[in-house]
Amino acid sequence: MTNQLVDRIRDALRVVIDPELGHNIIDLGFVYEISVIDGAVRIAMTATTPGCPAIRFLEEGVASAAERVPGVRSVDIVMTFDPPWTPSRIEPIVRASLGFAAVN
Amino acid sequence: MSYFAMALAWLFVALALMVAGLGFPAAHLASPDTLVLVHVVCIGWLSVAMCGALFQFVPVLVAKPLFSERWALPALGLLTAGLASLLAGFLGLGGRLPAWLWLLPLGAVLLVGGFGLVVVDLGLTAWLRPVGPARFVLVGLASLCATVAFGAMFAFTHAGWPGSIGETILTSGVPLHAIAGLGGWLTLTAMGVSYRLLSMFMLSPDVEDRKSSMTLAAGALAVAVAVIGGIVAIWLVSGLNVVLSIAAVLGLATAALYGRDLIGIFSGRKRRQLELNTRMAVLSFASLAAAGLLGVVLVLTGAFAAHVGAFTFLAVFGWLSGLVLAKLYKIVAFLTWLETYGPVMGRAPTPRVQDLVAEARASKWFVIYYVAVWFGTLTLVAGQASLFRAAAAMMTVGLAGIVREVIRTRRLADVARSLRFPDGACAPHLLFARA
Repeated sequence: MTNQLVDRIRDALRVVIDPELGHNIIDLGFVYEISVIDGAVRIAMTATTPGCPAIRFLEEGVASAAERVPGVRSVDIVMTFDPPWTPSRIEPIVRASLGFAAVN
Repeated sequence: MSYFAMALAWLFVALALMVAGLGFPAAHLASPDTLVLVHVVCIGWLSVAMCGALFQFVPVLVAKPLFSERWALPALGLLTAGLASLLAGFLGLGGRLPAWLWLLPLGAVLLVGGFGLVVVDLGLTAWLRPVGPARFVLVGLASLCATVAFGAMFAFTHAGWPGSIGETILTSGVPLHAIAGLGGWLTLTAMGVSYRLLSMFMLSPDVEDRKSSMTLAAGALAVAVAVIGGIVAIWLVSGLNVVLSIAAVLGLATAALYGRDLIGIFSGRKRRQLELNTRMAVLSFASLAAAGLLGVVLVLTGAFAAHVGAFTFLAVFGWLSGLVLAKLYKIVAFLTWLETYGPVMGRAPTPRVQDLVAEARASKWFVIYYVAVWFGTLTLVAGQASLFRAAAAMMTVGLAGIVREVIRTRRLADVARSLRFPDGACAPHLLFARA
């Protein structure tokens, strides 16, 4: 049941995009962890650059999208840059479409 | 956004003056008309645009909020009033307006107030985490203080107030004022901000601290030698040649080190396809390199003093203005996206930042602008003042096209209709940003 809720939350987060890269944050690998205990959701996520002005909107967007999923009582977002995000976290098919260099 | 709109308005004023043939090259470099033109460009256009960009990006550089959001608008008001007063004073000096020379010190006081607010606000913000690019901003702000101090002294001297010391500084100190402003304040700050912007938009690793520190040290030393050494030389009445030669060598070294850092950023990028703002920034880097080369050739041929106007024009309009315009194109799109679509993220599908712009259409205006600047530089070297006016007209056409694109971005004119206004999104105001 919890796993299904995590999957539904993950799907819901696909509406949130990184404005620069133009793809959803799940395919870009921004979401490190989604955990649920009794409807209380904790999402650990990152962004491409610390200090980016879009971070606040990414956090709010993720919280907003997760809160709309039936079964979610509360959402706690943890923004972390440890480990830092790298393009290697992007889904391969999306990475190819973005024209990235070979990931190192 | 208000800073950018005001800065662009002043740039149009400057281009109109150049097309009309007011100031250099039609008039002498030190003439009141040239002083009007130079200060419209350096304060109205470049400094106001740089301040606007720094209010956005210093918080990004240090990952901390601005010391005070509230100071930005009063600072813009003081800068605008101060510049208007200063220009009226210059026009009075040239006999185009009544000779109310008190307008010059009044303008200086207002500009000291405006730049003072900017320096304290940005300085206290950058001081929180003075690493990497933030250090460039701090050195740039210190140079701004030196520039403003020289300028204020000149303004009071023109009004006949500080006596013989002021006269001495005014007679010899103009190059120091220009080096502190164009070299220290505008160039070092632009370099610092460009490191972060290029890395961010190309997903490239930040330049190693050791390398950027070396570049900054060379640049800071160049400005310090010029300003402090220059004051000592004026004091000792020994002439500025030695001091300016040392500063020039250090300036060239700074440009070369900056070039090395840029190559590192470009070669380490993860994103291979370059956006328009980056491609156009490359043309400004090429202009900086060309200005350095032109300076060396002019010095070696003993023609630098005769062609200092051409050298400065290329540095100001090719390097600094080109970079500011290229980044402005991106910054406006990014801010407009944050303002319009940031608040509805997670609730509705949103476009990308790139969906707010039409790069293929915008690129031709940038190319027209750069070609006009390079052509204008050649006309100055060749001493063809009438052809220079044609180059200025061509620059105006390019700028008008770029501004049209920026206005289309603010109006979301290029966003697909289905994505333009998701539920809850508000249309951005043309001149004021809510985010």
